[in-house]
Amino acid sequence: MSEFLQADRVAGAKATLERLRSNMAQAILGKDDVIEQLLVCLAAGGHLLIEDLPGVGKTTLAYALARSTDCAFSRIQFTSDLLPSDVTGVAIYDEATREFVFKPGPVFANIVLADEINRSPPKTQSALLEVMDRAKVTVDGQAHAVGSPFMVFATQNPVDYEGTFPLPESQMDRFLMRLRMGYPQHDDEIEILRTARSGYDAISLSAVASKADVAAIQALVPQVFVEDSVLDYILRIVAATRTEVEFKAGASVRGGLALRTAAQARALVKGRDFVLPDDVAELVPVVLAHRLALARQSGDALEERRSVGAHLKRILSALPPPA
Amino acid sequence: METRPPQLSLDELQLVRWLLGGLLMALSVATVFYLDINSEAMAAVALLGVLVALANPRLPARVHHWVHRLAFPAIVAFFVLDLRFTGQLLPAIVRLDLMLLLYRGISYRARRDDLQIVVLGLFLIVVAGVLTVSLLFAAQILVFTACALCLLMVVTIADSGEGGMSPKLAVRGVVPPWAAHAEWRRLLRRLWEVSDWRLLASAAGLFVGVVVVSGLLFLAIPRFQLENSLFLERFVTRKAMTGFNDSIKFGDITEITQDDSVAFNVDLSDPAQAPAQPYWRMVVLDEYKNGGFKLSAALRSELGREHTSANIQSGVNTGRGAPTWTFYVETGVSRYLPILGRFETLRFREAQNYRFSRDLSIVALRDEPASMTAYRVEGMQADSSSLRDPFFAARWRSRGPVGPPLQLGLQLSDPDKAVLARLDSEIGPTVGAKEFAAKAIDWLRAKHRYSLSPHFPDGAGDPLVRWMASSEPGHCELFAGALVLLARSEGIPARVVTGFKGGTWNAYSGNYTIRNSDAHAWAEVWDAPSASWLREDPLAVAAASAAKEKGDAAIAGLMDRSWSARLNSLRVFWYRRIVNFDQQSQAETLNAVKEATGSSGKWLRSAIADALARAKVWARGPWDGPRIAEVGAVLVLVGLVSRLLATGRWRLVTFGARGKGDPIRREAGRWLQRIDGPRALRADLERIRFGPAPSWPRPTDVFGRARRAAASSRRPARASSQSTS
Repeated sequence: MSEFLQADRVAGAKATLERLRSNMAQAILGKDDVIEQLLVCLAAGGHLLIEDLPGVGKTTLAYALARSTDCAFSRIQFTSDLLPSDVTGVAIYDEATREFVFKPGPVFANIVLADEINRSPPKTQSALLEVMDRAKVTVDGQAHAVGSPFMVFATQNPVDYEGTFPLPESQMDRFLMRLRMGYPQHDDEIEILRTARSGYDAISLSAVASKADVAAIQALVPQVFVEDSVLDYILRIVAATRTEVEFKAGASVRGGLALRTAAQARALVKGRDFVLPDDVAELVPVVLAHRLALARQSGDALEERRSVGAHLKRILSALPPPA
Repeated sequence: METRPPQLSLDELQLVRWLLGGLLMALSVATVFYLDINSEAMAAVALLGVLVALANPRLPARVHHWVHRLAFPAIVAFFVLDLRFTGQLLPAIVRLDLMLLLYRGISYRARRDDLQIVVLGLFLIVVAGVLTVSLLFAAQILVFTACALCLLMVVTIADSGEGGMSPKLAVRGVVPPWAAHAEWRRLLRRLWEVSDWRLLASAAGLFVGVVVVSGLLFLAIPRFQLENSLFLERFVTRKAMTGFNDSIKFGDITEITQDDSVAFNVDLSDPAQAPAQPYWRMVVLDEYKNGGFKLSAALRSELGREHTSANIQSGVNTGRGAPTWTFYVETGVSRYLPILGRFETLRFREAQNYRFSRDLSIVALRDEPASMTAYRVEGMQADSSSLRDPFFAARWRSRGPVGPPLQLGLQLSDPDKAVLARLDSEIGPTVGAKEFAAKAIDWLRAKHRYSLSPHFPDGAGDPLVRWMASSEPGHCELFAGALVLLARSEGIPARVVTGFKGGTWNAYSGNYTIRNSDAHAWAEVWDAPSASWLREDPLAVAAASAAKEKGDAAIAGLMDRSWSARLNSLRVFWYRRIVNFDQQSQAETLNAVKEATGSSGKWLRSAIADALARAKVWARGPWDGPRIAEVGAVLVLVGLVSRLLATGRWRLVTFGARGKGDPIRREAGRWLQRIDGPRALRADLERIRFGPAPSWPRPTDVFGRARRAAASSRRPARASSQSTS
């Protein structure tokens, strides 16, 4: 990093992220680690894949983030008959002006929840994935920029796989992280039960940051300093996944870049202008796991997730961090 | 910790294996050239085949499959026929080995075959080493060992690189992938890239260690006779190659003098008694016939019957105080052993078949020795200018018209005899052999010049007589022969003696070195009053006083400090150590090694003490301007050099692994691991370790805090442990 981050900008970013965290924690009880990783993903400007059973608060999480950052939120329920144009929008003929006008689809928002993304055929999925990659929608040769910041929350049900179109590995690579929500703790669930709420729209959260704040944080992340030995550590981890016999293929170069960016974002979330090896180690499971497939076919998707996680953990423990 | 250094690919490794295997074979095949077992042509073919296949690894695929099919039957058949017709086992085995190596060289090798070539090559090297006992053997076995170790390592790595699944047999007729794109220049570049000097240095260090340890073991173990235990020498016969034979033609000796290689080395137990101009006698030739001298049948019978023993007791007592002479005669000199004169005892290292004549002072082995011959002579008279011969004296006194030949024979035609008589008359009247010889030599030298390329005048009759009558230049054989003929014509018994004259004194190993160029021929004439043979060298130029010099003065005149002397001193060292007649030299060597190590330790200690003392004196001096500048310059120089070392091509010094290059970062990393101090301190340390350098707090301050934190965290622990105890 040639530019040297000014301490006040780092402190400002940290304060903003801290406000977001405490604000969201009011709505999502007992999921501080998930919130933190969500903020890391937000700061890194990445997209998120959440795999969990229905009804554990995925939508709430996305909505809470949108409300806290004063962002436009939209939700697309992916079904088998969903068309690309249902996602991106369509150009329709306007009788009054006698020309085609583009009618933006639900993807034109800042935070888009793509619920059960694997229920749609690949064509529809790919429409979303193009947006994720370039933050633009191209309809009839015209590019339309989606909102900024732009973040996709895609969800999948890891158990119910009947009639789904699993995302290919190349597309899994587009997601910066894959998270699991998990059930809340006993006390937290009691608290949830106590505060009867009708739906996610009923969450009363005030915005604690603006879109500009989020954009400023995202611009700051690439300037976070990564020392050579930490880069080396990242590369060693990525290289280890490539030589691991249990994996069909190792992490890609994009995977390594994602790990670096995420580590920079985490450093910023923690209020540092430089990356520690801990940042890297902490993020390896969420950043790399969904990019790896087992060499041996596993019967159950959940089983596979657990297995990949265990192998990553073993690789990490075998690689000493730089000292 | 480190990033993985660049590595050779499996194909490149296989190419290295091919290279090492080829080098190994070439190295061992080349040793056959020293062996002298009539296999030079085959060795040359094998060497060529191996080298060509080595240079072009795609070639073996083009070898016709019939070659593979017929190779082994043909080799076995050749071996059987070879054995049947030559009857010599060892040369046949060597040829078998050569053929197997050639076949292995021109076909692709699986792991099994690589191991085979190591064994085959080792056999050749050992055979050559034992048979020649040359210094080259030590060098060869060293290179071979290094080569073989590397090959075995590469074979193992390549094999495990292929998951231990490499085929047991190489596929024939198919270019393997590693050979298909083989390119030596690229391989060399890659080897250069992947070579890590530290690894190479440590490997070289280990190898040197192995060599030193095995050298010490070699010195320490009880010596055994390699040749006797292996019986190798018996399997090889040799023919004489040079002119030191029972007969010489004029020019033979001169031909030998053209060769500058070492003929033999002589160790002298007491250099103070070294003669300045030793005459190394080898053969006595008495019969002149058809333009050449030869050992007559009568004289041959004086050599007596053949003996087999390790000692020759001559029965002569030369008195006490005579030094011990140890001769190391190279191969191909002669089966006649050079000696100075009468001696008491001559000891070989082992039993030899020899003939010995005390009166002639000649020792002849049965065969031309196949390896370096060493013998030790005790009680030898160094000066053979007059050789007492009571046996001949008795015959001379009782000479009659018929009787044993008295070395007076002139098998010449009458005109030649007449010419001789005329020449004798030119010399003038003399009394006694001594005076005659002196006058004859004067006459000869007045008439003829010395030249290595003589010219015989045309005409009829004996060539030597013709030469004598003319005034053409001539070489030592002609002069010696002329003197002998003149003396005999005068009725004085005379004979030609061949051998070596002089030599140099090696300044490094302290011994005589006699080269083939020192070969010489001279005459011995009979002096009846003293009953001895007088050495008369028509070409002796040195004044009598110079020839009488002994010891230091003599050595000073012969001193040789050239490069070849330095090389030869290595050879002598090798002989002295490998050839031993008793356990004493071994003990001496061990003592020398012990003393050398002890004294070097002492020297090191004193040198360090010296340097410290000087440094103290220096530090006490006043700090003036020039001195500060001096120190500054040295510091700058050290900084520059270390920077160069750290960043240059070889990165001779690295600060740990890449990425931890900064020593300050490294220091912070160490503190981070050591202390679990206050959070602020850890944050600062983390910033120094991983953060951007411009944002660092002052490292010295942070490290100071870290030291204090570490100390304070230790103190309570100690206090608590004391309180509990």
